[in-house]
Amino acid sequence: MILALSGTGVSDGVALGRLHKLSHRELDLPEYHVEDEEIERQVRRLEAASAACESALAAMEAGLPDEARGAAAEMLQVHRLMLRDDTLIGESVRRVRTDGINAEWALDRQAASMRSALERSEDAYLALRSEDLDQIVQLLQRELAQSGAAALAERIPAGLEGTVVLARSLSPAEVAILHQRRVAGVITEHGGTWSHSAILARAYGIPTVMAVKRALRVLREGEWVILDSHYGAVLATEDDGLHGHYGEKVRQLARRSARQARALAVPDRTLDGERFRLFGNAEHAPELTRCVEHGAVGIGLMRTEFLFTETLLPDEETQYQALRTAQAALDGRPLTVRTLDAGGDKLPEALARFDGPNPALGLRGIRLSLALPELFDVQLRAILRASAHGPVRILLPMLTRLDELERARERIAECAEALREEGVSVDPDVQIGGMIETPAAAWMAERFAARLDFLSIGTNDLVQYVLAVDRQDERVSHLFDPSCRAVIELIGRVVRGAAVHQRPVQVCGEMAGDPRMVPVLFGLGVREFSMPPGQLAAVKSRLIRLDAARARREVADDLAVSDSDSVAALCRQLDPGSD
Amino acid sequence: MTRRSLQLVNRLGLHARAASRLVRTAAGFESAVWLERDGRRVNAKSIMGVLMLAAPLGSELTLECDGPDAEEAAEAIEALVRDRFGEDQ
Repeated sequence: MILALSGTGVSDGVALGRLHKLSHRELDLPEYHVEDEEIERQVRRLEAASAACESALAAMEAGLPDEARGAAAEMLQVHRLMLRDDTLIGESVRRVRTDGINAEWALDRQAASMRSALERSEDAYLALRSEDLDQIVQLLQRELAQSGAAALAERIPAGLEGTVVLARSLSPAEVAILHQRRVAGVITEHGGTWSHSAILARAYGIPTVMAVKRALRVLREGEWVILDSHYGAVLATEDDGLHGHYGEKVRQLARRSARQARALAVPDRTLDGERFRLFGNAEHAPELTRCVEHGAVGIGLMRTEFLFTETLLPDEETQYQALRTAQAALDGRPLTVRTLDAGGDKLPEALARFDGPNPALGLRGIRLSLALPELFDVQLRAILRASAHGPVRILLPMLTRLDELERARERIAECAEALREEGVSVDPDVQIGGMIETPAAAWMAERFAARLDFLSIGTNDLVQYVLAVDRQDERVSHLFDPSCRAVIELIGRVVRGAAVHQRPVQVCGEMAGDPRMVPVLFGLGVREFSMPPGQLAAVKSRLIRLDAARARREVADDLAVSDSDSVAALCRQLDPGSD
Repeated sequence: MTRRSLQLVNRLGLHARAASRLVRTAAGFESAVWLERDGRRVNAKSIMGVLMLAAPLGSELTLECDGPDAEEAAEAIEALVRDRFGEDQ
C-alpha cells in the first residue's frame, strides 16, 4: 500500500528513511494580570528568556560547520538582534508594566502589533520578515514555558541520522541542528520556498518538502517514507521495489551533487586562469533563488512579458513590486530587466490589436515600446524606482537603429528626472544595455557599443533573423542551426565592436547554456554567459576545465581557414571531455 | 544632544545586512540613538525599528543622539553610512 501526500519542494533531492516526528506541544499561553512585586518578576522572566535564547543562538553560530557558515551565520545574526530588540523585548517589558500583565501575554500582544505593522508594509521584503518575527516569538514562548531548559534543542533528540524528520514548522536554527544530526530529509506542514528555514535547507542540501498539509496526523512515527522534493511528493510505503529504486536514486544524486558542489566551490576561472562570469535567466522568486544558489553572480535576463499576460496592463506599482520581490531574492546582486519584448509569438492579450501580418518582423520589442510611450514610461518608472533598492540594469530588446536607442535613452532620462522631482530616489548610474539580436544591431555593434553600457546577444532571435528560419516551421526547422558559421562570425564581430569601447558582452540565448557551444563563445571573446538556473552547474563545470588560450587559437584558426557551414567540428575539438 | 542629516548612499538602502550593522554600531554607545525618515521615528538600536523604516537608496534620514557619548555615536554612524556599510559597490 502506498500513501501519497504532496507539498512544495523547497530544497531539491530525494530521501528514504524512517519517519521521526518532532513534538509540537501546543503552547498554552497563560494570560493573567499581575501587580506590584510580581510585575518586576515578570520583567525579569522576559529578560532572562531573551538572554537565554540569544546565548543559545550565539553558541549555535559558533558551532556552525564551515560549508554553511555564510548563509546560516547571517540569518542567525539577524535573529540574535531580534532577540535583543528593543521594539520587541523593550516594548513587551513596557506592556508588562503599564498593562500589568504577565510576560507571555505582553510578548504576544507586542508581537501581534509588530506583525500587523510588517504585514501592512508595501515592501515585499519586509512583509516576509514577519515569519522571522514569529519564529523568534515562538522560541521565546517556549523558553518562558519551561523556565530555564534549553528551548532551542529541546525537541530535537540525538540519534536522528538517516531519518526523515517531520515537524509543523522549523526555525533556521532548528534546520542547522538537523543538519548536524545528519537527517536524510525534512517535511514540514507550514512554510514555503521563501522561509528562512527553506533557504537554509537549500544551503545545506537537505531534501525538503514544505506545506504538506495534515502530515503530522496522517503519517505514523517510525514508518518508511520516501521524499522526492522535485515533485513535492511524500510517499509512505513498505514496498521493496520502490525502496530499491529510490535507494539507487539517492546514491546517484549524492554523487552528482558532490560533483557540482566541487565545481561551485572553485572560482570562476578557466584552467589557465581567465575569468568568466555566469548569470541567470529568471523571472520568478524560486527560480531567481536557484540562480543564486547555483553560483550566478546576478541575473542577466529578467523577462517582463509575464507581467503583461492579463487583459489589463499592469500598473507601475504592480511592476515595481514584482521587481522588489526579485531583488529580495538576489540580495544585492545585479538584476538585468529587459523591457517589454511583446510582439511576435508573445503578444499579451491587452495588446492584441498591435498584431500584424508578420509578427516576427512587425511591431515588437523596442518598436512597440516607442510606439506606446505611456506604456513604456510606466515600465521605466517601475524599474527606476527599484534601482534605489539594489543594482538594476535596463535591457532594450530588438534594437535595429541607433535612433531607437537615442529615443529610449531620452525616455529613461525623462522618467528619472520626473521621479527625482517627485522626491523619489533613483540610482543615477543605472546601466543601459541593448539586446543584439537583429543582424542590423550585430553589424553596427561598435556604434551601438559607443552608446551602451553593455551588450547582450540574444542568440535565439539572432539565429532566426540571420538564417531567415522560423524554427516553429517544421519544414525548415532543421536549418535553425546556432553553430552555423554565419552566426558565429557575426558574434565575433559583436565582441570586437564592443571591445573597441571596452563594453562587456553577455550571451543570453540558449547558446549560453549549451556546454558544447560555450568553449567556442569563449574562444570568440565572450566572458559573460546568462542561462536558466538548471544549466549553470554544467556550464561552469565545462568552463573551469577549458584551456582558454587554446580555445582562442583554435577558434581563430577555424574561422580563418574552414569552409564548412557549421562549426560543429570545432565544438567537438574543444570539448574538454566529460568528468 | 546631536542632530545630523544623513543620506543613504549605499545601493541597497537599509536592508537586513546594512540594518544589522547599523544596529550593532549604535548599540555600542551609551547614548540614545534615533533615526527619523518621513516623519517616522525609530530607535536605531532596534533591528525591527530600523527595518521598518524601509529606507531605500538616496533616503534622507535625520540622526539624533542623546547622551554622554552622543558626539562619538553620531560620528560612528555617519562614517558607517558614508562608507556604504562596507557594501561592495
